[in-house]
Amino acid sequence: MTTPTSTRPTAKKRLTGAVANTALLAYFAFSLIPVAFIIALSLKTNSEQTTTYLSFTPTFENYSTVLGLDGGGSSYLRFFGASLITSIGAVLVSLLIGIPAAYAAARHRFKGSENLMFTLLSFRFAPELIVIIPLSVIYQQLGLYDTFFGMIWVLQLVTMPLVVWILRSFFRDLPVELEQAALLDGYTRRQAFLKLVLPLVRPGIAAVCLLAFIFAWNNFIFPFTLTSSNAQTVTVSSLAFLGGNQVRFNLVAAGAVMAALPPLVLALLIQRYLVRGLSFGAVKD
Amino acid sequence: MAAISVDTLRKTFGRGAGVVTALDDVSFDVGDGEFFCLLGPSGAGKTTTLKSIAGLVEPDKGAVRIGGQDVADVEPTHRNLAMCFESYALYPQHNVFDNMASPLRSPRLRMPAADVRSRVGRIADMLGIGHLLDRSVTQLSNGQRQRVALGRVLVRPAHAYLLDEPLAHLDAKLRATMRAELKAISTDGLTTTVYVTHDYVEALSLADRIGVLREGRILQVGTPREMWASPANAFVAQAFGKPRINMLAGGLRTSRDHASTSESASSGLGRSAPRDGTHAFVAGGVEIPLRDIDAPPGESVQLAVRPRDLRLHVGAGDPPPGKVRLDGVVYVLEHLGRQTEVTVQIGESLVSVVAPRAAVPTLALDDKVGVLIDPSTTHVFLSGEEGKRVSP
Repeated sequence: MTTPTSTRPTAKKRLTGAVANTALLAYFAFSLIPVAFIIALSLKTNSEQTTTYLSFTPTFENYSTVLGLDGGGSSYLRFFGASLITSIGAVLVSLLIGIPAAYAAARHRFKGSENLMFTLLSFRFAPELIVIIPLSVIYQQLGLYDTFFGMIWVLQLVTMPLVVWILRSFFRDLPVELEQAALLDGYTRRQAFLKLVLPLVRPGIAAVCLLAFIFAWNNFIFPFTLTSSNAQTVTVSSLAFLGGNQVRFNLVAAGAVMAALPPLVLALLIQRYLVRGLSFGAVKD
Repeated sequence: MAAISVDTLRKTFGRGAGVVTALDDVSFDVGDGEFFCLLGPSGAGKTTTLKSIAGLVEPDKGAVRIGGQDVADVEPTHRNLAMCFESYALYPQHNVFDNMASPLRSPRLRMPAADVRSRVGRIADMLGIGHLLDRSVTQLSNGQRQRVALGRVLVRPAHAYLLDEPLAHLDAKLRATMRAELKAISTDGLTTTVYVTHDYVEALSLADRIGVLREGRILQVGTPREMWASPANAFVAQAFGKPRINMLAGGLRTSRDHASTSESASSGLGRSAPRDGTHAFVAGGVEIPLRDIDAPPGESVQLAVRPRDLRLHVGAGDPPPGKVRLDGVVYVLEHLGRQTEVTVQIGESLVSVVAPRAAVPTLALDDKVGVLIDPSTTHVFLSGEEGKRVSP
């Protein structure tokens, strides 16, 4: 062992470290407040929902009401299923089209390719409200209103730019000589892409899957305006608890807590790739 | 195996003001089974030439023929060439064995698993990486990666091997060993090989023929002997040999035979027997007689002479017959084992001389010393970096 003084951080460094850690902990606690608030709210009774913060008797009654277990009847699970179908469908379609698109955008520059990519990106920062009225008219006329197919299609506006832009940077990080080596080894361009390139961007695909799924799952405005009952998603369905003669924040909270589970489960499932994916390119090999 | 012919290749990158000409009418032929070296400094267009042959870079103009067939419309996959990339381009998700086996498992070349194993094993042993076959390539040192990349080429049959600086990242000792190893393989009848390097020793030792490339142009193609003995221009002369060939700037004039003796005696510089040549090289009062120079008197030229063709002449006394003595002072002394590199300042220019150490035991800095030139070992070029050769 070397002399302990040489490895021990100076007092000043330790102080900055402690301050930074305290600040981070404070921020961590602060950012958890809304989550804690919603969970607490979902466990409160009707009478307690607006009158107390912490002193209440926890009950799972709201959950059984939302799920329809108390015999009151509920469409929550159907909406939940619609959310799953449209979100997963949207992510799959985006991957199917977006992976080749991102690869092409990363490897080939052609006239107008940058403009095309920018247009794609602009779908993300243009407010959805701009297009919602013409979209709903078109959807009514085409018979896409309130269908899964229509929802998956419109969610491409949300998921496709994410998939293409994020994966393009992953493809760009791969040296082109890897593919050239594969070509000379006797693989065709398609085989080189499928056997060599795709496995190397798996972390990127995992990361982009999660992000696209969260964005699709959380989307409110499209299902709100383009569905009514059949393809209505869980985000919109919560509104039902707010209407009528009684405002039921506790039911909304219970629905929201359950609705937060799928992204969480997905994140845990692909966690292994996720860390590598999100830090890809940041660390030199 | 197949012959490769590169015909007036031209390639530019970028557009507008930032356009860079990478290849400017590059032409050369590589015979069937020949080992051809492309030698040039970095940025000369060596890799671009190689990638054009492989089909990875599409030339703006010109043609590549493999076995006589124009391959402009043939995809890299189907050109049946093996290439070793300077960046190695190893597949990071595979181990050493799978990397080397990759071409043998491709749909184009697919071989039975037993053949793949024996071929990869044999080449890996030859390259000294037999014990690393199960390692991930990400765990290897650069020298080991480079050998894996070379191995991925050597395991497979191909019309030609394209090797891009395959020894550049090895340490000096390993590089010498590998060079000898490659030499041994190539004399056993390697397939047609185009070998890119910036190291003239590799080129001289391995190549059947060498092409010197500079700024996208081929300056000369020839056998190692030709490149060494009669470089076509000043750049090619300087591309071979270490220390570099000495270049003395001066002028040409008609030899004045006997008149030169008396004049040079008075100046105390050029003292030589008159020759029957028609020209003399003149610089700073020195006159060196030359024969059969293909340039008119009055032309400004450079006289090139290799450091090992020069002798030191210490002390007074006449130079041996047929030699010209230049007087200077010792500027730098480097004792390198049995040899000593002496840099002598003659007038404005510095001249390197390689002498056996035993011949210069007492030499010290700033000593007055004479340098003996044998006119028959000199090369004469017109002035300029690429001054044309005018001596025979």
